[in-house]
Amino acid sequence: MSQQPLTLPDAGSRAGAAPRRRMLEIAGAAAIAATYVFLVLTQPVEIANGPASFSALVALGGFLLGAVLLLAAVLPVLPTSTLVLMPVAIVLNVVLGQLMGSTGLPFYLDAIGTVLIAVLAGPAAGAATGVLGSIVWSFFNPTVLPFAAGAALIGFLAGLAARAGLFRRFYFAPVAGFLTGILAGVVSAPIAAFVFGGTAGLGTGAIVSAFRAMGDTLLAAITKQALISDPMDKAIVFTIAALLAYALPRRTTFQYAFVRRFRVLAGKAPSDSAA
Amino acid sequence: MSAAAARIDSFSFHGDAGAALRNVQLSVRPGTLTAVLGGSGSGKTTLGKLLAGWLRAGHSGVLHGSLALGAEVLEFRGGSGDPRINPAAWSGRVGYVPQDAGAILSSVRSTVAEELAFGLENRGVARPEMIRQVARIAEQTGLSALLDRDPAQLSGGELRRLAVACAVIVEPQVLVLDEPLASLDAEGAGELRALVDGLLDAGTAVVLLSQAADALARNAGHWIILDGGTAVAEGPPADVEKGAVLRDAGVLAEGPDTGTPVRLPTAAAVAPGSVVPGSVAPAAAVPVLELRGIGFGYAAAKTPTGRPAKGPAGSLPASDLLRGVDLTVLPGEIVAITGTNGTGKSTLLRHFNGLLRPQAGEVLVEGRSIAGIRTGRIAASVGLLFQQPRDQLFERTVLREVGFGLRRLAGSPEAAAGRAQEALAAVGLSDAAQAHPAELASSRQRLLALATVLARRPAVIALDEPTVGLDRHGIERLQHATAAAAARGAGVVLVTHDLAYARTNAHRVLALDGGSLREL
Amino acid sequence: MSLHPLTALTAACCAAVVTTAAGSWPLSVAVALAAALLAARAGVAARVLTAAGVILGPLFLSLLVLHGLFFPEGHTVLAQWGPARITAEGLDFALELGSRTAASVLLLLLFSFTVSVPDLVTALAARRVPPQFSFVLASTLTLVPAMAGRLEKIRRAQEARGLVVERGLLSRLAAARLQAVPLVLGLVEDAGARAQALDARGFGTPGPRTSYRQLQDPPAQRILRAAALLLAAAAVVLRLVTAWPAAVPA
Repeated sequence: MSQQPLTLPDAGSRAGAAPRRRMLEIAGAAAIAATYVFLVLTQPVEIANGPASFSALVALGGFLLGAVLLLAAVLPVLPTSTLVLMPVAIVLNVVLGQLMGSTGLPFYLDAIGTVLIAVLAGPAAGAATGVLGSIVWSFFNPTVLPFAAGAALIGFLAGLAARAGLFRRFYFAPVAGFLTGILAGVVSAPIAAFVFGGTAGLGTGAIVSAFRAMGDTLLAAITKQALISDPMDKAIVFTIAALLAYALPRRTTFQYAFVRRFRVLAGKAPSDSAA
Repeated sequence: MSAAAARIDSFSFHGDAGAALRNVQLSVRPGTLTAVLGGSGSGKTTLGKLLAGWLRAGHSGVLHGSLALGAEVLEFRGGSGDPRINPAAWSGRVGYVPQDAGAILSSVRSTVAEELAFGLENRGVARPEMIRQVARIAEQTGLSALLDRDPAQLSGGELRRLAVACAVIVEPQVLVLDEPLASLDAEGAGELRALVDGLLDAGTAVVLLSQAADALARNAGHWIILDGGTAVAEGPPADVEKGAVLRDAGVLAEGPDTGTPVRLPTAAAVAPGSVVPGSVAPAAAVPVLELRGIGFGYAAAKTPTGRPAKGPAGSLPASDLLRGVDLTVLPGEIVAITGTNGTGKSTLLRHFNGLLRPQAGEVLVEGRSIAGIRTGRIAASVGLLFQQPRDQLFERTVLREVGFGLRRLAGSPEAAAGRAQEALAAVGLSDAAQAHPAELASSRQRLLALATVLARRPAVIALDEPTVGLDRHGIERLQHATAAAAARGAGVVLVTHDLAYARTNAHRVLALDGGSLREL
Repeated sequence: MSLHPLTALTAACCAAVVTTAAGSWPLSVAVALAAALLAARAGVAARVLTAAGVILGPLFLSLLVLHGLFFPEGHTVLAQWGPARITAEGLDFALELGSRTAASVLLLLLFSFTVSVPDLVTALAARRVPPQFSFVLASTLTLVPAMAGRLEKIRRAQEARGLVVERGLLSRLAAARLQAVPLVLGLVEDAGARAQALDARGFGTPGPRTSYRQLQDPPAQRILRAAALLLAAAAVVLRLVTAWPAAVPA
C-alpha cells in the first residue's frame, strides 16, 4: 500500500474546485427560481389535462434539475461528521413526524430532522439533507420526490437562521420557522397543483376547495392554502428542532464546527486556547 | 525505537471546560503488549483514540503535546497552526478497535467480505489485491467461514473478530484494543486472546485498554494506571500491583488464571448496619413479590401491538421459556437469579412490572395481582433497572433525571427534591447533579439509572445484570445501595451471570434452569 | 435475466415520464395494472399494493372531493348544491390526475421493493456517482427497519419508570418528548462514533475508489436503457410542443 503523508495540507489550498462548485450552486438555485417564475407566468387560465401535463413536466423537470445541481455542488465537500448525521436526520423526519402525529396535532411536522441538521451543520448540509431525504424517502413513498426543491429550501433557510443566531433564543426560532414556511409553501405550491392536482390531506383539501369555490385558479388556491397552513407547521418544526438541539449534551453539539464558529446555540462557549 | 509514542500535556474536548487528559505519556515498542488500566471515565478511551487518530487536535478538541510514529514527530500547541492529521493515513499505521465492536463497521455493506474490503476500496486498491487481502485476513482472524454472512447478524464474538480484522487488514504497526473482552463468553475470550498472541508474534505493538486487570492484561510487559485523566502509576505489572493504586483507581482485579470471577469486597467491608447475608428478614410479612406458576413462551406471546414478541437476545425460541415458575420475595430480602444466556432471566424480570404478561399463573405485588393494571402504574411499586440506561435518559441534568415523576409520588416538590438528592447520594453522584446525563461515563450512567429507581422507593427492585459495565467504585456503590434499600424494607431481585457476586451479596441464590427456579 | 439495477430504475422512471407526458387515463390505468402484475410476478405484490394504498387512498379521496365538487372551469354540470357543483370536466380531471399519479407511484414502488440495495450501490459506484450519495442512501435504508424496534424499547423503558399515556394533548406531548429525546440522543451519539470510524477507514479521502462487489452489465441492457431514455425524451418534447400554444397565454 502506498505511503500517504500523515498530515493534511492547509485548508486554504483547494482553489480550483471552489468556483466550479459555486457555479453549480448558482445554476441550481437559478433553475428552481426560473422554473417557478415560468410556471406562474404560463399557468393555464383554464386548467385541463393537456396543459396540466405540460406544467407537470416543466415543474418536475425544473425543480428536480435544480435540486440535483445543488446536491452535486454541496455533497462532495460535506465532512464525514455531517454525512453520518444525514441518515439520522432523514429517519427522524419520518419517525418524529409520526410520533407527533400520534399526539393528534393537525400538522405534517415532517422536517424536524432536516432543521436539526441545519442547526448543527449549516445551510449547505440542510439543503443537501432536504434533497437526499426526498430521494431516499421516495423509496417508501414516491410522492415526496417532486417536493425535493422545497425540502432543500427549508434546510437552507433553517441553516441561514441558525447562522444568524436565531436559535440562541427560543422565541426567535418559531419566527424563523414562520418565514421559512411562507417561502417554502409558496415554492412547493406548483408541484402540488400541477403534478398531483391537489393536496393529500382532508383538512388542507377543504381549504383548497373553499378557495376554488370562490373561483380561484388551482395554483392560486393551493398557494393560499399553503400560506395558511405551512407557516404554522414550520414554526412548530423549528421549535421542536431547537428543543432537541438543546437537549443534546454540549460535547456533542460542539463537535460540529458550524456550531462553534457561528455560536449557534446559547450558553457559555468554552474558552478556546489562544496559544 | 518505539513504534508509536504519545505525550499528552493536556487534551480537552470542544465544549468541555476541563481537560479530559493531563500529563500522560505512552510509548510502545513493536511486538510488546502494553495495558492502560483505569476505572470508568478515567480517560483510557480518549488516550487510545488520540493515539490512533480517531480524535484529532483541532477537529475534536484542543491538544497540547506531541504524537510520534516511528521517526516522525508531530508537535501540537493547541492553536490553528497545528498539523492536521490525515485519519486514513494515520490508521494505516495505528489501528483502533472500539469498545462497541459494531461501531467500526461501515453499516452499508451487506457481507462480511465486503465489510472487510471497505477500507481497501476507499484507498483505491485494485480488485485482485483486495480479494487476496480479504482472504488473508479472514484466515488470520478465523472469519473464513463467515465471509458471506450479513455483519448485522453475527454473534458477539464473531463481531469482535470482524472488528479486529477491519482494523488489522491495513497492517498497522500498532493496534489499540478498547475493552476487547467485554461481553464475550469464555470461548470468545479464548479466541481473542489467541488472536492477540498471533499479532504480537507478527511484530505488531498492542495497546490494551481495560477496566479490569484480567488475564490478558497480566500478559502485558508494561502497565499504565489512569485515574481522573492523569497517569497515577506506571511500570511492570508486578510493581504496580503492590499497594492500593489499583483499588483507588477503580480497577477490578481478577485472579491470575483465566476466567475466574472478579474478587469483590467481602461482606464485612460493606457498611455496618446493613443486611448481613445469611440472615433472613422477619417472617410472617406479606411478600412484596409473588410469582405463582408463571408460564411464558415467546412463540405464542403477542405484545400489546399484536406482533409476536421477541426475546431479549433477539431470537424466537419455539418452546416455552418459563414453566411453572414460583418465587416469593419477602420485604428486606435480596434474591439472586443466575443462569446462562438465553434461559429467560431477563424475560422473567419483565413479568414483575407487567412489560410481559404471563400466559399461565399470576404475579402479585404487595399482595395484589397486577393483571390488568398498566405498566406505568405498576412502576410506582416495582422498579426495574435495564442493562441499557441510554434508552431512558432525556433530561438535561442528572438531578432532573432522578426527579422525574417524583412529585406525584412524594406529594410536594420539596419532598421530591429531598428524595432525589438522597438517591444521588446513595449512588455517589451528588457531585454530578448538574452534569448532562449523556456526558457521564458509562459506569456512572448505570448508577444514575439505579438512582432513578431508588428515588421512587418501590417495594420491589429488579436489577438486570447490574454488575456489567461497572468499575470497582461502581460495584461498591451498587452493593451499598442495594443493601440500604433492602434494609429499608424493599425486596431486591437481581439477575446476574456472576455467581460470585450473587453468593456474596444475596440472601438466596436461585438458578433458572429448564424454565423453572431451583435453589443453589 | 437478472436486471441491472440501473436498467430497472431507468425503465421505471421513463415509464412514469411517458405516462405523465401522455396525459391519457386509459394509458395510465394500463401502466398501473402492468406495474401491479409485475409486482405480483416478483412476489412483492402485497407490500407494493399496501404501500400504494396508504399513499394513494387519501390523495384519491381528496382529488375526488376537490375537483368533483369544486371545478370552476367546468361547464357540464351534473348536480349542484349551493357552491358545490359536480361537473363532468372536474371528474374527468380528477380521473386523469389520479390515474397518472397511481401509475407513477406503482412503478416507483415496484422498483424500490425489488431492487437490491447493495447492487444499486455498486452500480452507482461504477458510474462515478459520489460515494457520499450511496452512503447516505444505503445507511438510511439500513436504519429504517430498526427504528420501530428502537422506539418500542424506549417506550418500555419509560413505562418502567412510570410513563402512562393518558388522553389529553399535554399528556401525549409529554409522552412524545419522553420517547423522542432518548431516540435522538442515541442516534446522534451513534453517528458521532461512526464518523470517527469512517474517517479512519478512509471514507473522507478524495480520490479514486474501487469496488469489491461486481455486477454484470450486458450490452443488451445498456441498449435498452438508451432506448428508454430516448423514448421518454421524445414523449416530453412532444408534450411540450403540442401543449405550448395552449399553455402560454398570448
